[in-house]
Amino acid sequence: MSANVGLFLLVGCAFCFFAKSIGWAAADELGEPRATALGLTIAPTTLTAPQPDNSAALRDPGGGLSLFLRNGCGACHTIRGTNAHGTIGPDLSHLGSRTAIGAGVLPNTEEAIARFIARPDLLKPGVRMPAFDMLPQTDIQAIARYLKALQ
Amino acid sequence: MIRLKHVVLGAVGLPIVILLGAWVGFFNVGASSGHWKVTAWFLQLAMRSAVRTYALAVDAPKTLDSRGLPAAAGHFARGCAICHGEPGEPRSPAVMRMLPQPPDLALTVGDWTDAQLFRIVKHGIRFTGMPAWPARDRDDEVWAMVAFLRELPKLDANGFRDLALGGSQPTAPAALADCTRCHGGHGGGRGDLVPALAGQKEAYLFASLQAYARGDRTSGFMALPVTGVDPADLAALARHFAAQPSVSADSDQVPAEVIGRGQQIAEDGIPERNVPACSGCHIGSDKNPLYPRLDGQHAAYLERQLKLFRSESRGGTRFWHIMATAAQRLTDDDIRAVSAFFSKRSAGPQ
Repeated sequence: MSANVGLFLLVGCAFCFFAKSIGWAAADELGEPRATALGLTIAPTTLTAPQPDNSAALRDPGGGLSLFLRNGCGACHTIRGTNAHGTIGPDLSHLGSRTAIGAGVLPNTEEAIARFIARPDLLKPGVRMPAFDMLPQTDIQAIARYLKALQ
Repeated sequence: MIRLKHVVLGAVGLPIVILLGAWVGFFNVGASSGHWKVTAWFLQLAMRSAVRTYALAVDAPKTLDSRGLPAAAGHFARGCAICHGEPGEPRSPAVMRMLPQPPDLALTVGDWTDAQLFRIVKHGIRFTGMPAWPARDRDDEVWAMVAFLRELPKLDANGFRDLALGGSQPTAPAALADCTRCHGGHGGGRGDLVPALAGQKEAYLFASLQAYARGDRTSGFMALPVTGVDPADLAALARHFAAQPSVSADSDQVPAEVIGRGQQIAEDGIPERNVPACSGCHIGSDKNPLYPRLDGQHAAYLERQLKLFRSESRGGTRFWHIMATAAQRLTDDDIRAVSAFFSKRSAGPQ
């Protein structure tokens, strides 16, 4: 009897893990060249080519930086070379080159960054950052795209 | 001789007889003949005793805050005077024939303590038509009403009209007159607790009016004027006040070090306590139009709002919880300083 329950739990856990890793794999791919096939408009070069600090931070083709500043993110976060000088949250100047975000709980992809901006509390319990899911999804994506490009 | 049998019979039979009487319509609910003397006596006794007892749990301030008087008087004129009368205005004969007849408060307010008045204004009185305060978590507004009720017996017709309607323009459309009664003809805000609207961002004003109308932001004072107003009219009101030239609100003296401390919080935040700089959202013309402009706003209003945010008693636009998060990290002294700083900050173009 108890062996059955144990087996059931094991299968359940395996299934969850499998489902999660598929989701993450899909998210990982967003940054790859295949992203254009998914209808995203990221130029792969912006993501891969390392750029000098200030000029990269100020490049804002998708409007992500101005949305970042307009919604007050700069009150808590610093992005060197911009008007964001906050010291409460992590320095995001090189967010795009980190391997993981949210204290290591998420892979560093544009989609994961967007999910974190919308509901940080779901991904990192006890987080000090408030949720920004009241922003239009397109704005969140633009900010995530900009942050991911900060190498 | 009464036996147990009779007691049991009465205990079972009497409720049945009363229920039967109610069912066949024996009890006259008409107001024309009034209550029997004994019923009136009993109802009065029950009401007065209940108010007295429940008021024991009310923590009344030693002195009542007079800064909310204009708003409270305006609310009284709009919502209460129709039943309770106002100085210099005879009450309608229809009101006088209500059962029970609403008391003329100028004459009867002295019968109650501050705590008892608070209890009545906040919770209303069942079976009398006296409604509860429209916003459950706005004790500050209820206290403002109590402070006004204490003033009421001293007011003559002119004094009352000045206090309640000082800002109104009699020719303005009704929806606008409802605003100017408390916010002033030019949107400067009458009394330190009423926000200045002149020059505020239009999107913020409109979103706030919608939040009041939906109940996302609670206020008894605001509930009356926004209820039933067409959304297009709310948009027009927001546009009207946003277009007014902003005026510097407060003239009271605040020590320079308090303002300096406020400036520091506003511009740098308090990093060791995770308080972000206010300027990140509230200073600069490039900020989200749903983040209000604070320059030149009444300090007392800002203080009150920050404390409401801190206790999670204030909603608002869909961004409200961001402010609540920040406000929870502020002490009373921080709030005082930062409110004073913004009230003195120039409202000019940035």
